[in-house]
Amino acid sequence: MKTILLLEDLPEIRVWMRKLVLQVFPGAHLSESARVGDALKLVSAVKFDLALIDLGLPDGSGVDVVSKLREVQPDAQSVVVSIHDDDEHLFPALQAGAFGYILKEQARELITEQLQRISQGEPPLSPSIARRVMAYFSAKAKPQANTGHAMPNVNLTDRESEVLLRVAKGYTLPEIGVQLGLSRHTIADYVKQIYRKLNVSSRAEAALEAQRLGLFR
Amino acid sequence: MPNARRSLNALLRFVCLLALLGAAFLFCLPAQAQTLTITAALAAPGDEAFVVDARTAAPVSLPDDWATTRPGFTGSIWYRVTFTPPGNLAGGELLALYIEQVCSNYRVLLNGQEVASGGRMALPLTHNCNHPQIITLPGALLRAEASTLDIQVAGHSLAEVGSRQRAGGLSALVIGPQNELAARFAQRTALQVTAPQAVGATLLLMGGFMFVLGFMNRQESHLAYFGALSVGWALLDLRLWLRTMPLSHSTAEFLLVSLLGFITWVAVQFLLRYGGVRLRTVDRALPVQAALLPLTLILAGPENLRKVAVIWFGVLLIEVVVASAWYLWRERPRRSFWLMGPLLLAMAVAGVIELVAQGTGQRPLAAHIASLIAPVLFVIVGLRLVQQQGRARQTVEQDKVLLEQRVAEAAAEIEKNYEQLSELRVEQVTERERKRIAADLHDDLGAKLLTIVHTSDNERISTLAREALEEMRLSVRGLTGKAVRLGDALGDWRAEVVSRLNQAGIEGQWDAPEDLPQRLSARAYVQTTRILREATSNIIKHSQASLCTMKCTITDGDLLFVVQDNGNGIAPETEARLDRGHGLASMKNRAKQLQGQCLVESGPGYGTVIRLTVPLDRATEAS
Repeated sequence: MKTILLLEDLPEIRVWMRKLVLQVFPGAHLSESARVGDALKLVSAVKFDLALIDLGLPDGSGVDVVSKLREVQPDAQSVVVSIHDDDEHLFPALQAGAFGYILKEQARELITEQLQRISQGEPPLSPSIARRVMAYFSAKAKPQANTGHAMPNVNLTDRESEVLLRVAKGYTLPEIGVQLGLSRHTIADYVKQIYRKLNVSSRAEAALEAQRLGLFR
Repeated sequence: MPNARRSLNALLRFVCLLALLGAAFLFCLPAQAQTLTITAALAAPGDEAFVVDARTAAPVSLPDDWATTRPGFTGSIWYRVTFTPPGNLAGGELLALYIEQVCSNYRVLLNGQEVASGGRMALPLTHNCNHPQIITLPGALLRAEASTLDIQVAGHSLAEVGSRQRAGGLSALVIGPQNELAARFAQRTALQVTAPQAVGATLLLMGGFMFVLGFMNRQESHLAYFGALSVGWALLDLRLWLRTMPLSHSTAEFLLVSLLGFITWVAVQFLLRYGGVRLRTVDRALPVQAALLPLTLILAGPENLRKVAVIWFGVLLIEVVVASAWYLWRERPRRSFWLMGPLLLAMAVAGVIELVAQGTGQRPLAAHIASLIAPVLFVIVGLRLVQQQGRARQTVEQDKVLLEQRVAEAAAEIEKNYEQLSELRVEQVTERERKRIAADLHDDLGAKLLTIVHTSDNERISTLAREALEEMRLSVRGLTGKAVRLGDALGDWRAEVVSRLNQAGIEGQWDAPEDLPQRLSARAYVQTTRILREATSNIIKHSQASLCTMKCTITDGDLLFVVQDNGNGIAPETEARLDRGHGLASMKNRAKQLQGQCLVESGPGYGTVIRLTVPLDRATEAS
């Protein structure tokens, strides 16, 4: 039986989401919250398998909950469920440790399908996010060469880069699998690995930055 | 302007050349012929009514310099000479008497008849010391055998005058044809009177001008001193203009000697200031000296004027020589040394000649020329100063123009920066406002539309709300978005279209070039996205096709999409319905807004072909 966190401030949508989640994961235990503060308390208290997190909330951003969850429950899967579809909102959430995102206004069937895919370990990745991730890693590769700090090596492998490049060009994951002669599960693993590296890298970056600012000794 | 400088240089050279030519001309006096030079006479003191008695008079040789033959004598001497006119005169030719120098004034009687007078014979005497004299001897008064000339000369002793030139005396007498002597007279007059007068007048004018110039501008004080020097020097020759002065002889001499104190003052100050130095002690000492000089003259009295004056001459001369030497030493590394050096040297040579003339009482031609050197050199120096002044002003003008140009440039840059800054600020404010509006729209309108999407029982209403939400988001991004790389846009479109088709069970074939460098404005990106989305929706909803090919090419700067399905095609009545539902019509409208076009070809059973053309250039520009 799965424990699922549902963070959503709009009551009607929350009700609708609950129905949908219970349909995909029958018998799951749902903890609902409408505020970031409440969600953070829940995260410290309850162990979750899956968290569906809205970004724009009355008392803050869902990104904080994603970070916290990543920190205290690394095995929990965070999925951003948002009305925003732009990089500016999604990328920070992915960096914070989210494993994919779902756009709220999509048809019920589509969301259901995406949730199923996520639960099977196939996170969604759009071309624009793929481009953003590529740019992030290639920009990071340059200054790393001449900084003396012990930076964890979180560069992408050639295969991961290849997958990203093809996603950026608009190919679907099954298509990429066919092109590379790999199963769609392997491709999905690459995508998950990319998300993970994004999070590890950004956390290492944050730690390094904190060290530079003298926050840690 | 280098032209002006060049022409001024040329002018300076021309003046120098003119001075040399004049000197050369004066040296080349024609030989004398048919003239009688009388170098002996009988002389005796006597007043106006006196006539020389051959028995009491003493023989003297001419020239008779009173300073040596009768020291201390002031008054009137009668000279008598007897001569026989040259016999070989051409018929009707006039005979004349030429006196090169007579000081201070004279009268001439021929055989007892007065034939000429130089002016006042009583004190103050008319001053004729610088003026050569020519007297026509009337033929009617001449005797064939021997004629007698009685010449009364009134003059002052050397002790009473400042310069030996002005002491009493009579030069040798020359009797000869009038026209020949007239030529000699004219040359002598030119040298001793006209040339000094002309140079003096020039000095007076130039000096006055430069004094005013220097006085107005205290930075250029050397100009004021030089102007005063020029004016002072010109005043020394005042007696050339005013032969009869309404002043006693002693007053006139006193003033002339006093003037030298003033001239020394301004000369030394000019050299110092021109050399760029200002000394407090000198500033005070020289005026005091200039005042002290007349005071000592008054104390010594008119009869000792010469003695006191000679002492002062020595002192003043030393001062000027020291100042000149200092100046040249200081200027030695500069260019002006090569102008001022020769000028001061020439001045020194002239001064030595004048000293010798004063010492011996002889006044040869060289002494007359030498006395002209100083004022001519002053004129040259004056022109040089004006040249420098002009050049300095030119430099100042150029600097000013340059400065103005700089100021204008700086102002323009500031203006530009300010404009950029305010543009940037406007951009920032606009961007912030856009983001605020976008956030508001998402929070409020977005939330409400979303609620409708997921709570409405009516499928049509929830679809409309979903589309409205998508429209809203595209609109917001159309406002906030930047230009999109065409390659990225194609990736986005492919991902959406192909995955939607696949989900609907339709095979999607996408054919498009990769890695395109062109850019698409946010507006064109949004509109094209909508058109493709609508086309995809139409295929999914209405075509019942199993295959859809999408081919994208770039031809002549146009982005061309051909979307073809193998479905039912659009029946005329369906097409009308689609148009009412803003399907095909809105696609066409959107293409039109991008200055492109959207053509739909379809027939029942033949599938549908949509040809979308978007001009890339204009689409990139419009934003």
